[in-house]
Amino acid sequence: MQRRTLLKLGLAQAIATGMVFPKSVKAGYPSKAFRAKQTSEALLELYGSADIASSDKIEIETPAVASSEMMQVKIRSGFVKTESIAVIVESNPTPFTAYFRLYEPQAYVSTRIRVADSGELLVVVKADGQLHTRRHPVRVGDICAV
Amino acid sequence: MAKTITIRARELNGQVRVKSIIRHPMETGLRKVKKTGKKIPPHYIKEVIVSRNNRMVMEIFWGKSISRNPYLAFEVSGSKGDSIAISWLDNRGNSDSAMVSVR
Repeated sequence: MQRRTLLKLGLAQAIATGMVFPKSVKAGYPSKAFRAKQTSEALLELYGSADIASSDKIEIETPAVASSEMMQVKIRSGFVKTESIAVIVESNPTPFTAYFRLYEPQAYVSTRIRVADSGELLVVVKADGQLHTRRHPVRVGDICAV
Repeated sequence: MAKTITIRARELNGQVRVKSIIRHPMETGLRKVKKTGKKIPPHYIKEVIVSRNNRMVMEIFWGKSISRNPYLAFEVSGSKGDSIAISWLDNRGNSDSAMVSVR
């Protein structure tokens, strides 16, 4: 085999298999939490407790008013050893929305989510084995431009 | 399959700022076809994996409340020339991945 072909194969494989989803990850998909109809139910599924202390070290940023189909949420954790960040939208039929598991010190994540109605958004950060949460009000309105 | 992932990665003081968009319908399973009233079956991304230089740095689980054509941005330590790869897997078993080097 030519070296060039081998290299190409190697690269293709790195992309195809190097990034494959390991078994442990598949087992880790919290489907029960995603099916939960209540915030407390989802929290219990995820962390085994719905009683989490509030912390202002978590910064949450959303637009003042957003379309229910697309609201950008930016989350910054002020904790040094942030392990995971979870996003829960209380007004959604299934509130649990996203879970970011961090394997390196990281502090910032952002994504766009659907929010059924104005209400509150909940972010739960696990840092150094401790759980912290913060609530953030969101407003959904009709925006023609979106 | 056509390319579904667009990634931009840029270094700023030892931090790599990554922005990406994945093309995906993200059907919740609740939407109906107007004419027939039949529900459109759910079709959404469940997992996203982010790697830097072939090592997993972040693993993301998504539900149905992520917007259509999901947007994902994050910061990770790293420097110019590092490779950032993103791959996704949806509930139908489709997947895609893409890689860029940090500018």
